[in-house]
Amino acid sequence: MTTRMNRRGFLATTGAAAGALSFLGPKALHAQDGGTLRFGLSTYPPSLDAWASNGTAAGTIKLMIHRGLLGYGPDGTMRGELAESWEVDNEGAWVFTLRDATWHDGTPVTSEDIAWNVLEAQKPDSAAYLQGQLAAITSVETPDEKTVRMVTDEPLAVLPGWFAHFNMPMIKKGEARDTTMGSGPFLYDSADRGVSISLSAWDGYYKDEMPKVANIEAIVYADENLRVAALEAGDVDLVEYVPWQAMDQIEANDELALQATDGPFMYLTFNASRPPFDNPKVRQAVAHAIKREDIAAAAFYGRGGALEHLPIAEGSEFYNPELANSWNYDPEKAQALLAEAGYPDGFDCVMLSTAQYGMHQSTAEVCQAYLSMIGINVQLDLPEWSTRVKKGNEGTYDLAVMGTAAMNNDPDGLATVVDGSLSPSFVRSFGMETPEISELFARGRATFDTEERKAIYKELEEIAIDTVPVVGLSWRSQGYGMRANAEGFTVMPGQLVFYSGMTLEETMLG
Amino acid sequence: MLRYIATRSLVALFLVWIVVSVVFLLLHLIPGDPAELLLSQGNVAADPQAVAALREQMGLNAPLWQQYIDHMTGVLTGDLGASFRDGAPVIEQIALRLPRTLEVILAASLIATGIGVPLGTYAAIRADGKADAVISFFASASLSTPVFVVGSVVILIFAQKLQWLPAGGFTPFSEDPLEHLQLLLLPACTVALSLLAVITRMSRASVLEVLQRDYVRTARAKGLPRNPILRRHVVRNALIPVLTVLGLEMGTLIGGTVLVEFVFNWPGLSGYLVAAVDARDYPEVVGIVMTISVLFVFLNLVVDVVNALLDPRISLVR
Repeated sequence: MTTRMNRRGFLATTGAAAGALSFLGPKALHAQDGGTLRFGLSTYPPSLDAWASNGTAAGTIKLMIHRGLLGYGPDGTMRGELAESWEVDNEGAWVFTLRDATWHDGTPVTSEDIAWNVLEAQKPDSAAYLQGQLAAITSVETPDEKTVRMVTDEPLAVLPGWFAHFNMPMIKKGEARDTTMGSGPFLYDSADRGVSISLSAWDGYYKDEMPKVANIEAIVYADENLRVAALEAGDVDLVEYVPWQAMDQIEANDELALQATDGPFMYLTFNASRPPFDNPKVRQAVAHAIKREDIAAAAFYGRGGALEHLPIAEGSEFYNPELANSWNYDPEKAQALLAEAGYPDGFDCVMLSTAQYGMHQSTAEVCQAYLSMIGINVQLDLPEWSTRVKKGNEGTYDLAVMGTAAMNNDPDGLATVVDGSLSPSFVRSFGMETPEISELFARGRATFDTEERKAIYKELEEIAIDTVPVVGLSWRSQGYGMRANAEGFTVMPGQLVFYSGMTLEETMLG
Repeated sequence: MLRYIATRSLVALFLVWIVVSVVFLLLHLIPGDPAELLLSQGNVAADPQAVAALREQMGLNAPLWQQYIDHMTGVLTGDLGASFRDGAPVIEQIALRLPRTLEVILAASLIATGIGVPLGTYAAIRADGKADAVISFFASASLSTPVFVVGSVVILIFAQKLQWLPAGGFTPFSEDPLEHLQLLLLPACTVALSLLAVITRMSRASVLEVLQRDYVRTARAKGLPRNPILRRHVVRNALIPVLTVLGLEMGTLIGGTVLVEFVFNWPGLSGYLVAAVDARDYPEVVGIVMTISVLFVFLNLVVDVVNALLDPRISLVR
């Protein structure tokens, strides 16, 4: 064939296509336009229901638009927000005194609003995150506009912690639960569902000269790698959930900064309603069979630490150094325990985890490898997340990998993970009865003296080490990445890491 | 012609009904409870009482056949229901997101055809030459590189290193047309790359075949210059199979841009579908799948009709 296409014609065609792309310019468009902080969210909030647990991304947005009675300062100490002061009166009831604050519509925050929030959220079918806890409040009194008195059957030391939680913000009486009108530093302007949420500073916020930025644009970057790329490219100023593999790269970049804390943790839950894991000896064997460092290395690129006891952080006043290595890696001891339990040759079992999240799968794989060394043949069950939740709730597993963070840095927050008297859930072991532990949690809640509480939780941890309601595996680092010019954002310590959105009121763009 | 279209449309409707029914039933068969999931957000233990109340509210306690009939009645009256998660009407969400996905596909198709057809033609007339070898090599290479690799590499080069373009995201055209186009460029080019390979190879094969035809030889024998022969006689005839393939590929892409949407944070329909499946948001899943299947079937119909228009010899009676 000798037919020839004109070379110039061909070049002209492709040249025209390239010319069409000439609007690519240097990215002047993405320069700072004053005071808009662009926040890279990991997921779009499934809802903004004020009192429900709707994930940490929703929690961060709620911390922008709402405030609760109490909160935490950047260093993690509890402080007043809508309440100026709080104390227990002679009769053991908690009394909160409100400060002068207003809702976004300009009306004052009154004790009647607060009482309404408590009464609504404590209703049995409210699906509020703290419904179970709030049910302990038998009555809410409002002696005057600025005073709220909460009466409980017995004095409760942990009550303030509930009202500091980002899933217990206060909304105006009569508003819908997913209202975006609150009393927080930012006004909710608009949202493109699944894409972004726009907020602007509220000039009626009760803290002087806050918030510092004029606007926040919260943009969803579901892909963790893109989230980091967007930060590096300067598309956003601040991102949550920095993937562990990218932490080094952010630290090495002069234009970026990383703030991280060991807060959330990974652990194993058991199905104690049937053999072999109904036997504490077998559970102890599992606790001693796994080398935790390998989990931190495999699942978190070394950004985590071994967890060989209950997840009480080293910085906590309730940390018990002498118990810290109770579930140390000791394969011989594990083997002996297994033999003692009547399984000298091991057994077969199914471990539930999920393939949807790499850290859950990697953790399961490391556990599988170590358990096989003491003769426990683990078959992995790795469905996607929704199925994993369902199976966990129904107890269709022998042992399972789980990861979460506690409610706050108070050890009472661990009840949700280890208290077997609570309803069956994928976050704790199935069919595990823990009468002594449940008892101690109740005592801990009712005790105000710190030293006394320390003794209670120490006893609780000792019993847990022995009865193994769950097995601690690894802490995991939770990080936020920011551009060097984003100042004032602080990652709160330990379990409070997901409250860090509270410091957005102090964040400014340098 | 009209009768042909009518028959094909009826068959199409039947197909859509089958797809929607199968998806509806499968969704209820797979494990996972939307109420339980919604209340377990943030890895907390859902209160069984609250889960039961929410199931009732979602209408999940009715027998399956009842739910099916209710849903189908809704579909027939144009009501696709509301999201389990936040009550947003499904049809509005689809209307919002479908154009975004179509935009990427359309832009990608334009880029791929604009470059692929000339490239394929050039390769065909230089068959077995160096240019042909180079073009074929690149076509094979881009066809065998997954979109998430291409996507990640272009982000690394153009966003992270050169910083010419944003890494991803979306700005409505009405808000900022220039930024909208900048954001569209990388995802569109990524989708276009594999499409380009298909079109280049198809064009090459098709042009090669047409070049052997008697009418081309006749035209050349009559002394017509090369370019008019190529334009009027070769490429036009060679386009028919290329269009067929393009139509099919576009149909597949409607539900298949999920990786690209994910990598570039482009809030289109496929990404929405995946999120809906994850949350077991039944009304959303069924609504989206129905939309995609309607479009797929419709695109096939369009391809058939366009083929008939391009070449009247194609018999409509099959």
